[in-house]
Amino acid sequence: MLGAYITWWLFTTFHLHPLLAPLIIVPAFFLIGWGLERTLVRRVLGAEPIISLLMLFGVWLVLQSLAYVIWTGDSRTIEMPFIESTVSALGMQFAVPRIYVFVMAGLILIALQLFLTRTYLGRAIRATAQDRDAARLVGVDVDRVMGIAFGLGIALAGFGGSLLSLLFSFTPDFGRELSLKSFCIVVLGGLDSIVGVAFGAISLALAESFGVRYMPASLQNLISFVVLVVVLIALPKGIVGTLRALRRG
Amino acid sequence: MDRGRTIFVAVLLVAAIVAPFVFAERAEFVIDSLFLIFLYGAMATAWNVLGGFAGQVSFGHAAFLGIGAYTTAILQPLGVSLWIAVPVGALLAGLYSLVIGIPAFRLRGPYFSIATIGIGEATRLIALNWTSLTGGASGLTLSAAPPIVAQYFAALALCVGAVALAAWIRSSRFGFALAAIRQDPDAAETLGVATTVAKTQALFISACILGIAGSVYALHYLFVSPGSVFGFGTSIGFVIMPIIGGLGTVSGPLIGAVLYSFVRDQLAVSLPNNGDLLVFGVLLIAIVVYEPRGILGIVDRLRRARRRRAPAAGEAA
Repeated sequence: MLGAYITWWLFTTFHLHPLLAPLIIVPAFFLIGWGLERTLVRRVLGAEPIISLLMLFGVWLVLQSLAYVIWTGDSRTIEMPFIESTVSALGMQFAVPRIYVFVMAGLILIALQLFLTRTYLGRAIRATAQDRDAARLVGVDVDRVMGIAFGLGIALAGFGGSLLSLLFSFTPDFGRELSLKSFCIVVLGGLDSIVGVAFGAISLALAESFGVRYMPASLQNLISFVVLVVVLIALPKGIVGTLRALRRG
Repeated sequence: MDRGRTIFVAVLLVAAIVAPFVFAERAEFVIDSLFLIFLYGAMATAWNVLGGFAGQVSFGHAAFLGIGAYTTAILQPLGVSLWIAVPVGALLAGLYSLVIGIPAFRLRGPYFSIATIGIGEATRLIALNWTSLTGGASGLTLSAAPPIVAQYFAALALCVGAVALAAWIRSSRFGFALAAIRQDPDAAETLGVATTVAKTQALFISACILGIAGSVYALHYLFVSPGSVFGFGTSIGFVIMPIIGGLGTVSGPLIGAVLYSFVRDQLAVSLPNNGDLLVFGVLLIAIVVYEPRGILGIVDRLRRARRRRAPAAGEAA
């Protein structure tokens, strides 16, 4: 949400091209996320898990209501020729920003996958996520890793918001729906592989696009939730997990 | 409960019962404020049974309030007695909670919480689009309100009932099971707590209380719409109140309700545009970081500090 707003804000006040906004947003959000971990998250690490959940809920409340105060609840769009441009290929018209977002998202996914599996830092992050104490035992600087992981997460979310601002209009409440959708994708595909995430995202996107043919468009946001419930009941391991289990068994 | 506390509770209760007869004619405002406090108190207590006792933070509890409110709003103009409509609303909310609990409790911790956002949102969308039943975005209007004193006692009874139930749960075997789930679900399961069953029961109780609260809400405002009773802001309120007062305690949600309804009224005037949520958000972070036990935790600290000082002063003298 904030990523989208800052892209919009940089564009309207400084006439910064929306495609360049991530150059500012990603490092800035990384620092914000890192700082958030340092100042707030760290303090509640030892407590019951719901405490850190509630704290981040508080952070979200503050950010969202700040956005309402600063930018009001009106929905915003970025308007410029680039957003409306199209290219034709294979006899079809494609919107340029959509292609751009698709390519960028794909690149980020691949980069993230390589980072998490091939670099020391990436592996340290995964180890810390699995078992903080064990990671510390094998010599991972858990404190530093958590800060970086948090910063990275926030930076990517900001990047995502910035990309989305090219496609959709947004309000301060924009993020809630999206966090639900991302969650649905993760449940669908599983988090352990790039294939899973891509697979989950494609399934949800197709379900939403085609679902609208059979039901009122105002119910579109319901689809992600229905998919979530169905998957949880029918395939508790997610689609990729189920396929894997089938292959093994 | 020690004797001092029993007397304190009794005095509060008598004051609450006498209040409408003292104020009814002169200051309807006081009655109205107290009514809201009791209603919010009941709602916060209901949320706390699942969120505080069992540690399952739900951001979608408005769904149950909405179902209760809509049941009464649909049945009352048809001439159905409130003695039937209100329990039906509670029961429907409870049944809905069972339907939801089955998939949702496959998820844990933060994942459960994210899913509840979806539950709340999905329920609101259904209410918004099922126009033939709910009137869609324009909402439903009820025919006539019961007298304010009757509403007042309904809210008071609901609140007292909810708090009494919460107090009983907390000291029962069931309550211990919930506390075990909150602290460590795996350990609880190992010790023989049927965690999913216990969580579903807590959700059911919570939903039924909210269903009744929804009816009281509808009868007070005589109008329900998806944006109000099913709104995400409503769910947020349920989360904020118990945390301010003291998560997982019996009196905490009540204290939170008093503060919440008061502060919100004040802020709604002075800080439009969701300014109240900004304040509550900051408050929430501060509480979670510095005193996760909320106001009750602060009171406890002060009391301990005084006790520590008292003997020291005695020695000096």
